[in-house]
Parts: sequence; structure tokens; C-alpha cells
Amino acid sequence: MTDPLVTVDGLEKYYYENDTLLDRLTGAEREAVRAVDGVSFEVREGETLGVVGESGCGKSTLAETLMRLREPTGGSVTFDGDPVYELSGDDMDAFRRRAQVMFQDPFSSLDPRMTAGEIITEPLAIHGVGTGAERRERAETLLEEVGLSADQIDRYPHEFSGGQRQRIGFARALAIDPEFVVLDEPVSALDVSVQAQVLNLLADMQAERDLTYLFIAHDLSVVRHISDRVAVMYLGEIVEIGPTEEIFEDPQHPYTKALLESVPRADTDERDRVVETIRGDVPSPRDPPSGCSFRTRCPELIQPPWLDAPQAAFREISEFRTRIENGDIDVDTRWEQVGDPDREDRAAFVDSLYAEAFDEDLPDDDEGTVREAIRALADGDREAAAATLRERYRSPCEAVDPALPAGEHPSACLLNEQPDDVEAAREEWEADRDAPGVGASSR
Amino acid sequence: MISPRTLRNLRSELSRSLLAKLGIAILAVILFTALFAPLLAPHDPTDQNLDNANVPPLGFTATENQTTSQMVDGEVQIVEEEVVVNTTAEHPLGTDSLGRDVLSRTMFGARTSLLVGLLGTSIAVVLGVTVGITAGYYGGRIDDALMRFADVMLAFPSLVLAIALIGLWGQASWRIPDPLVALGIASSEMPEHVVLPGTVIVVVALVNWVWFARVARGEALSVRDQEYVKAARSMGGSDLHVILKHVLPNSLTPILVLATIQIAAIILLESSLSFLGFSGAQLSWGFDIAQGRQYLSSSWWIATVPGLAIVAAVIGINLIGDWLRDALDPGIEGQGGAP
Repeated sequence: MTDPLVTVDGLEKYYYENDTLLDRLTGAEREAVRAVDGVSFEVREGETLGVVGESGCGKSTLAETLMRLREPTGGSVTFDGDPVYELSGDDMDAFRRRAQVMFQDPFSSLDPRMTAGEIITEPLAIHGVGTGAERRERAETLLEEVGLSADQIDRYPHEFSGGQRQRIGFARALAIDPEFVVLDEPVSALDVSVQAQVLNLLADMQAERDLTYLFIAHDLSVVRHISDRVAVMYLGEIVEIGPTEEIFEDPQHPYTKALLESVPRADTDERDRVVETIRGDVPSPRDPPSGCSFRTRCPELIQPPWLDAPQAAFREISEFRTRIENGDIDVDTRWEQVGDPDREDRAAFVDSLYAEAFDEDLPDDDEGTVREAIRALADGDREAAAATLRERYRSPCEAVDPALPAGEHPSACLLNEQPDDVEAAREEWEADRDAPGVGASSR
Repeated sequence: MISPRTLRNLRSELSRSLLAKLGIAILAVILFTALFAPLLAPHDPTDQNLDNANVPPLGFTATENQTTSQMVDGEVQIVEEEVVVNTTAEHPLGTDSLGRDVLSRTMFGARTSLLVGLLGTSIAVVLGVTVGITAGYYGGRIDDALMRFADVMLAFPSLVLAIALIGLWGQASWRIPDPLVALGIASSEMPEHVVLPGTVIVVVALVNWVWFARVARGEALSVRDQEYVKAARSMGGSDLHVILKHVLPNSLTPILVLATIQIAAIILLESSLSFLGFSGAQLSWGFDIAQGRQYLSSSWWIATVPGLAIVAAVIGINLIGDWLRDALDPGIEGQGGAP
């Protein structure tokens, strides 16, 4: 195993809302948006570490914080032994030369008022490398190397296509001979055919110049194509990290599995495959779920030890519980649908809502508990309804926050191997609670 | 900083727009007149001749009440009669109440207006853009402080603020020898000096810089978040580098357009100040309008001719502003100018 070039340890980037002077005067609570919430990993010399995740999971914030384009709210980054957030003066200058970024947007990443040559030589000009003529010569060489022609040096960005612009952006990142390049979704704005060309260029240059890449993308096939190892991000956290082939062939975390499952395959079996997509939306990073952040959408949500319901049924009940807890069920509208403005026929209300919320056949005990909760809802007591369900259907996933253990292919899920302190917390949670009576009060 | 593409857009927009050509033509005539006023003007604009007062422009007639006394049968009789004042080719646009040539005065007046308009706008641009870009680029507390100050400036009516500042500082002005006269190119009968109304220039700039600060801040705010700015910072570019190389060039277009509009506004403001007698300039469109105001019923041309000059200058500059706005619009930028 080669040495790590970049080590990220517990990196946090929170944004605070309600943080203006007026908010402080009125005593509004400071609300944290946890864009990056305690991320640790390392990038080894010469490798490509891919980072995947849905939009809004904090990938780009991670890249920008790692490059110190934003100051972190916690954690540290070490680059070749130097703590990046403590560098200043010449040391910071050196870091800015050794680490570069290539950006996502082929349009806004190049200054529309500069020529290709000016853009590529900008890092050289900033660090005062070479004379004007030398820089221009270097820009011409780089243009050729990234597959453009040297006589395009005086053209403006708008005269290039998206793929060509990304090549210029890449040439700019390479101009000052960096060791480490952060590629922030470098091909996601390009056509598929052009994507492959640019990816091959990235791979070729890496081999030629011994570059280390941190490759950020949301497209799994792109990441698989170029990465040696892959980290999967969800809601500001890394949920699984490991060698590319292992991640794709043997995913451990339910989120990774679901993500891989949702990719359409070019296969004749594909017609019949039922694509089990991930349900719901990514929760807001303002108010992330307690415990495991993926639990609100997880198909493998862990049942409490006293429960033995079919997984699909348990999942439906959990989702129904979330709706009640979030106040997403409008009791008034439901009564109107039932057609009983006097609100006397509770049985009709219960049947109506139950039929709407549940496709699965619930075991009798569970059906009883759910109906009891709906009856409470019909009486307008949302709190009691939520409590009834919470008592019986709480999951260890909402109480215990899984962590990423050490190792070559760890995943942050209670179903898998967890660090000792997480296992201990889980045992404590399970021991702390007696199994509730089975629907005792429901009949 | 002006790319070939920008020039192309400017040219194609110019060839398309009749109004743009008109605007350039008007401004060119005014500029030319202002520069070569001592050569072009038929008379010394300050030369008084009471025998020739209130002469109407060519093609018009005017009557004047004349009171004469004569001896009739040993008694003095006072006769009031209406006399027709004849136009003369010597004063094609007539003369004012002191017999000064209106055409010459209007030609020389263009100098004051353009000097104040251009210099005042330049100072306002430098001041406003510096403040605005600093506020927009750094944001946060700096932005709050600078922009609240700008808002306070905006709260004052510009004319009132200008008068207050002039009252505070007095009417400093410099007399600069006119090179055309000094070198003997123009007739030595022409005024030897150009008056540079210093206080007025500074004051109109201080009254108008806020608009540039507002626009520059907005531009800087949007440019700041562009990926090329992040890229420059990730390469180690200093704030100064980022501002000079990226933020400023990419903010200039709307500032340029605003500047043309502000030149017109500043010319109007200078005229207002002269009209009210606060500018200290004795040879200015606004001053002449103020002078002619009391003769408006009998000798309308004294105020009307410089008034039309102001209208022409403002329209011309605004047309050029429209042309720049259309040609530099990012919407058509990048297409290299469609035919």
C-alpha cells in the first residue's frame, strides 16, 4: 500500500442560517446546514479516489473545503504531511502550486474575457513562473497535449465546444505541474461521447505525470471507469469506501446497493427487471435524521428485536409513521374524503386512511396497532398516534449513529461490522427497552 | 480589455441601428464644436453690445417697445411705439439682452457641459466602482457598512446635496489658458481661458457615484461565484489579482452603459446648478438659460437655443448608451454578432 498524499480527518463544513445581527438580537436559533458532516478518508499517491453521491450530498463542498476555498468548521486535511488549514505564506503558496482543481461547468469555469492562452497561463502568471514568451510556449504545448491545436491559443472560450472547454480547464490545472488534482464533476456537463474522450485524456495524463486524483461525480459508470477506489457519500457523510471492483460487485451499504440497482443496464434481462429505486427525497441537511442518516429511505431498515414482521410491511409502517410525525397527513381533508363532516364514523376514517397507506398485508397484530394509531389520529391526537407507532416500531437505526470502521472496505451501517463503540451503543439501546405488549391495548 | 468579439458586436449593432448612428453623429458635432469653439464661433461670446441687444435669430422678427421723447409745439411728448428689431446675418441665432452672440455662447457653453459631464462621470465611476466591487467581492460586514453608507447618500435629493456641498466648499474654479488662442491658431479676440469649474465637477461626482457603486456591487456579487473566480483562487491568486483580472473586466459592461446615462444626468445637473447660480461658470448652457428666463416672453431665443443644445446632447448620449447596451448585452455576446 502506498502512502497517503492527502489525509482528511473528521472534516466538517457547516453553514449557519439565522446568523445575522437581527437574528441574534431577536434570539432566533442558529440553524446549521451540515453540508459536510465529519468525513474522513485518505487519497493515496498515484491513485484515483472517486467520490459519488446524489446531488446535494456535499460532494462539491467537500472538494472546495479540502482545497481550502472555504474554511472548514471542523476537522483537518493533511497534504503530504502539511496541515492545509494551518499553512500560510510560502507554504500556502507551495500548496496552491502542488494541488489544483478542475471544475464542472465548461461555461463558467473559463473567464469569457480571456483567451485560451491567458487562461492556461494564469497559474504561471500568479506564481511568477517564466517570462511571457515561455508561458505562451508552455500554453501551446499544453494545448497540444490535451488534444487541441496550438494555433487556437488566441481564441476565446465561446469559440470552443463544451468538451474543448473542459480540455482547456484541464490544461490550466496541469500548467503548473501539480501532483494532486481535484476533478469536480469534470465530465457531467458533457455529451456521453465526449465524456469518454475527456475521461481517457484524464487517465492518460495521470499515467504520464504520476498524478493523484480526487474524482467527484454522480455518475456511477464514469466513476467505475476511472477510479481505483470509490467513496459513497450520503447527506454529508461517507457511508462506504473501498476498492472500485468490490464496491460495484459486493456493495455493503444499503444505499450503495440501491444506487447501483437504479442504474439501467444494457442487458436483455433488463426488460423484466423491476428497478427498485430509492424512495423519497434526500432529507434536508438542515434537519438530518437522527441515528443513521439513510434510515428514512432505507429498504433494509433494521427491525427492533421484539418484532418479526415482513421487511416490506415494516418499511411501510415506518414510512407511515414518518408521515404522521412530520404532520404530512391532513386529517380534515381525510374526513372530507370520507364524506362525514360530523366526524362520527371513525371506522370509515380508519379504513380509508389504512387502504391509502398500506399495500402490503400486515400481520394481524401490526394491523391492529396501526389501526389504533389511525383512530387516535381521527380523534385529532396526532401525538398519541405517533407515540403508539413509535413504541412498537422504533428501529435501532434511528437511535444509533453508525460509523465507518477501519479497514479496506468499510461501510457505515448497523447491518455490517461496526466499530466497538457503535456496537456497544446498540446493545445498550436494545437492553434499555422492554418489548412492548403486542397490540395489547389495541383491541 | 476590449476583445475583438466586443468590437465586432459593436460594429454590427451600429450598422443595424439608425438611432445609434444618429447618437454618434450628434455627440460628434457637439464634441467637435466644444473642442474648436474659438475657431468656429463668429464672435467673442463675452463681447457686449447694447445697441444690438435682443436681436432675434434669422428668419424671425421681433418687436420691441421703444420710448422716445420729442418736442411737439414746445412740449415734451413721450411717445411709446413698437419698433421692429431686424435680424442681422452677423448674429444668426440672435443676441441676448446684453447683445452677446447666442450662437457663440452656445458653442462655448458646450465646453463647460462636456468638461463637467466627462470629468464628473469619470470621478464618479472610479469612486463608485471601487466601493461597489469591494463591497460585492468581500461581502459580509464590509458590504453592509459600505452599502448602508451608499444608501444614506441616495436618500438626499441630488440637487440639494450638490448645493449643500458647494455652500460648504465654495466655488473653486481654475482658469486654464485655451491652447487654440495661446498658440495663435484662433483669433486673439476670443476668451483666453477655459474655466474648469472644479468644485462643480467634484460635487456632481460625489452626488452620482452611488449609482455606480450599486451596479458594480451587483456585478461583483454575481461574478464572485463564477467558477473561474474559484479557479483563480485555487491557483493561489490574491484578492487583488482576482478583482483586477476577473471581477472588474466582467463587471464593466453595465457600468459603461450606466456611465453614458450618467453623463447626460450630470450635464443636466450642471445646468441646474448654473441656472440656480451655484456653479460659478459664466459660460454655460444652464447659466444662459437662467439669463434668458426673464426675457422669455419677448426674446425667447436667449433661453431656447442653449436649452435645445442640452436636449440634443442628452439625447445623443442616451442613444449611444442604448447602442452600447444592446451591443454588449451578454445575450448576443458570443454569437459574434448576427448579421
